[in-house]
Amino acid sequence: MTKTDDNPLEAYVRAALALQGYKFGDAEVAEIVAQFSRLETVARTVLEWPLPFASEPAPVFRP
Amino acid sequence: MGSAADIVQQIAKGTRSAAAVLAECKTLIARKDPELNCFTAKTFERAEREAAAIDALYAQGKTLPPLAGVPYAVKNLFDVEGMVTLAGAKLNAGNAPAAADATIVARMSRAGAVLVGALNMEELAYGFLTENHHYGTTRNPHDLERGAGGSSGGSAAAVGAGMLPITLGSDTSGSIRVPASLCGVFGLKPTYGRLPRTGTFPFVNSLDHVGPFANSVLGLALAYDAMQGPDPADPACAQRAVEPAGVSLPLPAGTRIGILGGWFHEWADPAARRSVQLAAAALGATEWTELESAEVARAAAYIITGAEGGALHRPRLIERYEDFGPASRSRLVAGGLIPASWVIQAQRVRRHAYTQAMALFEHYDLLIAAAAPAVAPKVGQETLLINGRSIPTKAGLGVLTQPISCIGLPVCTVPVWPGEGDAAAERALPVGVQLIGAPWCERLCLAAARTLEQAGIAEIRPTSAL
Repeated sequence: MTKTDDNPLEAYVRAALALQGYKFGDAEVAEIVAQFSRLETVARTVLEWPLPFASEPAPVFRP
Repeated sequence: MGSAADIVQQIAKGTRSAAAVLAECKTLIARKDPELNCFTAKTFERAEREAAAIDALYAQGKTLPPLAGVPYAVKNLFDVEGMVTLAGAKLNAGNAPAAADATIVARMSRAGAVLVGALNMEELAYGFLTENHHYGTTRNPHDLERGAGGSSGGSAAAVGAGMLPITLGSDTSGSIRVPASLCGVFGLKPTYGRLPRTGTFPFVNSLDHVGPFANSVLGLALAYDAMQGPDPADPACAQRAVEPAGVSLPLPAGTRIGILGGWFHEWADPAARRSVQLAAAALGATEWTELESAEVARAAAYIITGAEGGALHRPRLIERYEDFGPASRSRLVAGGLIPASWVIQAQRVRRHAYTQAMALFEHYDLLIAAAAPAVAPKVGQETLLINGRSIPTKAGLGVLTQPISCIGLPVCTVPVWPGEGDAAAERALPVGVQLIGAPWCERLCLAAARTLEQAGIAEIRPTSAL
């Protein structure tokens, strides 16, 4: 078992960093995992918000 | 120094020359800036040329432009011809100088304003402080132990300190409104898409706004009017014709004003609540209402910001990670790893929150809320304690502004002095109030600001710290 098997968030961060071409040591990865964890906490609010199925995104926002 | 309107009038009457105004401005900068650290560059040669051109127009008896001889400076993410655009980042210092002014800087010049320099900011505009790892901390003109807020901290502090009547800044999640609140000045974040961003260093394209700070509402209006107008080079610019705010700015009788409760009340400490109360009373507002999606709108803006900021800087984060400040680099990388499904959901939430806000505007013409959860924190203070809840300072200062910029509404922030707090130092500090309009209703926001200014509720106070 690797150290990330029981930590899917860290496993995701390590895989995504590799996929995007980043090469960091463990100290930098630990900082990035901490930051991503904060983002994930905030994202939960967004992901759990009930929206109508047909609700459209606003990628180019023109109020 | 005086207000922009005063300066324009004095120059038009011949009681003061543009050169004399500039000389006074330079003296004030020399005296006050060493303690505050607002300026990262000065453009005095250009300023001398621009001031001389105004004085020449006056000598020839020609009509003067609307901001004739008014000195101003810009957050250092605006392109200024011949200068490197730093955006608060050391890794930009080796870039080529800008070939031309940013669109709104060029428009300020055409309106007769006199550019005196570029101003400090949070690195890459990512955060609500101006504690810049590379270019130093900008301090609060009302208490040098405290910060100016950010990311446009230099812009707010320069006006708050009385060095300049007008500055320009940008606001992605609160970067005009938060420092305006902390430094006790007026600030305008127009509707998303109103003012062109061409020639500004981007942060989050789908949320970036630009706008003015000023020491008077008329100054804000003069600058705003000078900068309006379509610009096809900015794909988000709405290409609307100029809709002047004008200088009389009466608040129409019967204007319906709602006080934002819920999220906006929960995250306002006693001083921030007192500011809202003072503004509401002066505007005759008594009804409370709620933007139910405020919390999720803030969260959506947070996710969009992380994803777009991270994607924007990815190539340089790979190659020059050590050149980014320690407070921003790991956040930017983490943002770039956000899954697409989160971003799409955040953009769906954004549209939904906008729809909810527009339903509120069927009942109200204007909404009011505090612009920051508390008075300016001390430099280096890592957390804010708001009504018993702790929140990191760097992100938490924007808790009341981020839901509004997420949906692009225009906001005028006004300086209110609540006189609340345990310590005398806190009681002497401002907390700004956001006057929030429906899209394209900047004129109403400014009119309400003018009403508060005339009532003496919103005011610029002299600095005792300098």
